[in-house]
Amino acid sequence: MISHHLLTLLVFLPSLGALLILAVRKSDALARLVALGFAVAELVLSGYFFTLDTVHTLYPAPAGFFQYENVHWIDFFGIRYTLGMDGISLLMVALTAFITVIGVGVSWQGIKERVPLHFALLLLMESGILGVFLALDLFLFYLFWEVMLIPMFFLIGIWGHGRRIYSAVKFFLYTFLGSLLMLVAIITIFLMHGAQSGTYSFALVDLIGTKVPYDVGLWLFAAFLLAFAIKFPLFPLHTWLPDAHTDAPTAGSVILASLLLKTGAYGLVRFGYPLFPDAARAFTPLIYAAAVFGISYGAWIAFAQKDMKRLVAYSSVSHMGFVALGIAAWSPIALSGAILQMVNHGVTTGALFALVGMLDERTHSREIDTYGGVWGKVPALSFFFLLFCMASAGLPGLNNFVGEFLVLIGTFKVAPLPAGFAFLGMVLTLVYTVRLVQEILFGKERKPLVMHDLSLREGGILAVLAVGAVYLGVSPSPLLELVKGPVALLVGVK
Amino acid sequence: MSVADVLSVMPLILTGVGALLVLLLGPFLQRGLVYCLAVAAGTAAGVWGALYPASYTPAIPGISFSPLARYLVPIFCIAGVLTLLYSHGYNDRHRIEGEEYPATVLFGLFAMCVLPCATNLLTLFLALESIAFAFYILVAIDLNRAESGEAGLKYLLFGAVAAAFTAFGISLIFAGSGSLELSAALDFRNRAIMSAGWGMILIGIAFKLSLVPGHLWTPDVYQGAPAPVAGFLSTGSKVAAAAFLLLLLGVAAPARELHVPLFALSLLSMVLGNLAALRQNNIKRMLAYSSIAHMGYLTLALLTGTRDGYAAVLLYGAIYTAMNLAAFGAIAALSGDEERARMEEYSGVGYSAPFRAGVLALAMIALAGIPPTAGFMGKFFIFYSAVKGGEIALAIIGIISAAISAYFYLRVVVHLYMRPAETTPPQPASPAESAALFLSAAAIVVIGVFPNALLHYLGTVLR
Repeated sequence: MISHHLLTLLVFLPSLGALLILAVRKSDALARLVALGFAVAELVLSGYFFTLDTVHTLYPAPAGFFQYENVHWIDFFGIRYTLGMDGISLLMVALTAFITVIGVGVSWQGIKERVPLHFALLLLMESGILGVFLALDLFLFYLFWEVMLIPMFFLIGIWGHGRRIYSAVKFFLYTFLGSLLMLVAIITIFLMHGAQSGTYSFALVDLIGTKVPYDVGLWLFAAFLLAFAIKFPLFPLHTWLPDAHTDAPTAGSVILASLLLKTGAYGLVRFGYPLFPDAARAFTPLIYAAAVFGISYGAWIAFAQKDMKRLVAYSSVSHMGFVALGIAAWSPIALSGAILQMVNHGVTTGALFALVGMLDERTHSREIDTYGGVWGKVPALSFFFLLFCMASAGLPGLNNFVGEFLVLIGTFKVAPLPAGFAFLGMVLTLVYTVRLVQEILFGKERKPLVMHDLSLREGGILAVLAVGAVYLGVSPSPLLELVKGPVALLVGVK
Repeated sequence: MSVADVLSVMPLILTGVGALLVLLLGPFLQRGLVYCLAVAAGTAAGVWGALYPASYTPAIPGISFSPLARYLVPIFCIAGVLTLLYSHGYNDRHRIEGEEYPATVLFGLFAMCVLPCATNLLTLFLALESIAFAFYILVAIDLNRAESGEAGLKYLLFGAVAAAFTAFGISLIFAGSGSLELSAALDFRNRAIMSAGWGMILIGIAFKLSLVPGHLWTPDVYQGAPAPVAGFLSTGSKVAAAAFLLLLLGVAAPARELHVPLFALSLLSMVLGNLAALRQNNIKRMLAYSSIAHMGYLTLALLTGTRDGYAAVLLYGAIYTAMNLAAFGAIAALSGDEERARMEEYSGVGYSAPFRAGVLALAMIALAGIPPTAGFMGKFFIFYSAVKGGEIALAIIGIISAAISAYFYLRVVVHLYMRPAETTPPQPASPAESAALFLSAAAIVVIGVFPNALLHYLGTVLR
């Protein structure tokens, strides 16, 4: 019985953990343990899906999906509770489960007030994100898409720094406004499909067959693109990101950068392009432009930052540009590269935010000016700092290199000009990374710093992330194998 | 009049006789017992209404327990009962004594139950005005606060003018069609008189529903009225006024003459209501402007003139009742000797009174239309019916104004959880308040996630 509802279990297990934490909210220590327990259980469960390679489902699944659930829900509108997992979702699910464990780990000691609520929100967040990565009914997808915002709003607003309330509200309103028009587009395509086929359904597999008039399609795709581009974030819709990332608590920044941004990219791959292939083709030059400009602009602005967290935040804008580039090219290699790059960016940027958080916990400063000569004081921390900076800069042998390389190759075949500009942007990435490493690790000590090196917990978190980064860099082929089938199906659609 | 007729109008008897009993026995019973009696009468009426089969044949002239009544009577009864549960502790703290309070609530509930049962224009009008009559008293019932009396007077003055317009409109429709039957309202053969009649009725209803430009009384009355009364006013009387329009329209599409004024009312209410709410620092005034905007959404669904649109109006009526009762109930339950009026007085309350603040936050999230709450489901249905009915431009304007509205609803949440406490923490809540809050919160979540049953029933309400 339960084996047919594994996906439901996967999505709601963290929520269950959150409820349990709220039930034992009297004890901070117990809340931490429960949170870690559920996060690890979730990771194990998501790992179990890697062993299920055959189609294993009660319900007839569309091609490419090896796990599928399809239950009637709100018959009045033809809304069904449809969850499905293919290779792409599996990667995203595994990333989500992995990063949530990291998120629980980094806030183990940094969060001292209202501890149970914090961990409960982290787990609720995980449920929402997993729902986004697994929903195949547009209504259900939209529901999870919005649900995701609430825990993050609280995380930034309650435990954040600086202008936390401003940033939390800005984050919420920006994304909320952007996605409401998507709701209108969803309703429109639902009605169009119903009028054409006579059956009213929000299921992605049904709606893909809708014949959308070209000019209407442009509007609908624009509405989807707006919602996704804000989350992505594509230049010039990125302005919420530096505030939210900088003011969020460490776990919030890690989850924002590693997971929330991916939902935008995932939405474009899963829903935007397949639903409106013609309109997507028409918008492709615009996405190329936004991607290429974002790569250079993000790197350029990152270079000028004084606050480490802001620097990493702007570097996200730059890195996600590569993902956008790969999606816009929509060729098998480029798209595989983009999906891989989503995972890579999740691991690398998550690690960098965790590191900045650790430095901040020690010195209560995120200003680059404060630091200098850290290499001599805390060698273990510095080692990881250097490693992840190099990964972020795209050093061969580490994870980001593979993704960016595949994206560039794939795009170059289809569109040489954007690929060329993106390559130039990569050079800029090197500039700000080297500056960061040089000033913090190797420069002269500017103020007397009293720091202790990594604790066992911190070392463990970073080591796990480092293993991930090296593994993804050295042997990406199993992952590429995993997305090969779904990507072929997606690109074939066009 | 047969036994079956009596049985079918049992909710009216229960609430009507209940009100009289409360008045008669009130002086001899303990205060708690009086409220219990009133709650029992309301609950019994609601349960009976939900279970007894509906029929279109009139039980007594002018009254039939129609499917619409079977849908709305339980909603009104829930609103009435929850209001009573919130009021008991609140009235204790605010020294609002006497049995006239529960009796008037029950009388208002009685009138609300009559309204959807009406089969002719006269009953309909009498029911609508009886509801208003009960609220004239309830709004002004707090003798210790001048604002309450002021609000009562304002409501009375505006209400009297609105009643005059409505009455005149109904008499014009009678003059134009020669009949008091509900179906006569859409008999446009005598075009000039009928149009004038409908114009008058729309002016009256715009006041009742607080649609811009008939909204001016709303913020002052909400602010002045005791919080539980404001909650009842914003749910029961609004849903009743929407039902009034639905009954007049039947399930027919509004005539083309009505489209333009309804379009304007909806547009202005959605945009101005939400924009004005942005600037409020008094939580009840904010909820008043939010109410104006929500009635604008309701009108948007109404003016499509489709079955889906009418179903959306009815569903939204139920959902809006749950949301606003939760919001005003939490405000009432968090009040001490005085209500917490300014937003700042809610700072940090999320931690000193987690349950009540949680319900208030949930109500705000629902009012903002964020899933998985019922507020999202209701807005989804409204905008769905609007897009389907061809009102795409107005739907997009509505959706954008709804997105803006998230800002002022979130402000309350921000104060509850993200700002340091400024006032003394609230006293513990009474069991009645907690139970009522739990019920309204449960309704918000359950309708949000499993709206199926309600939607199916709606299918049978509209012929």
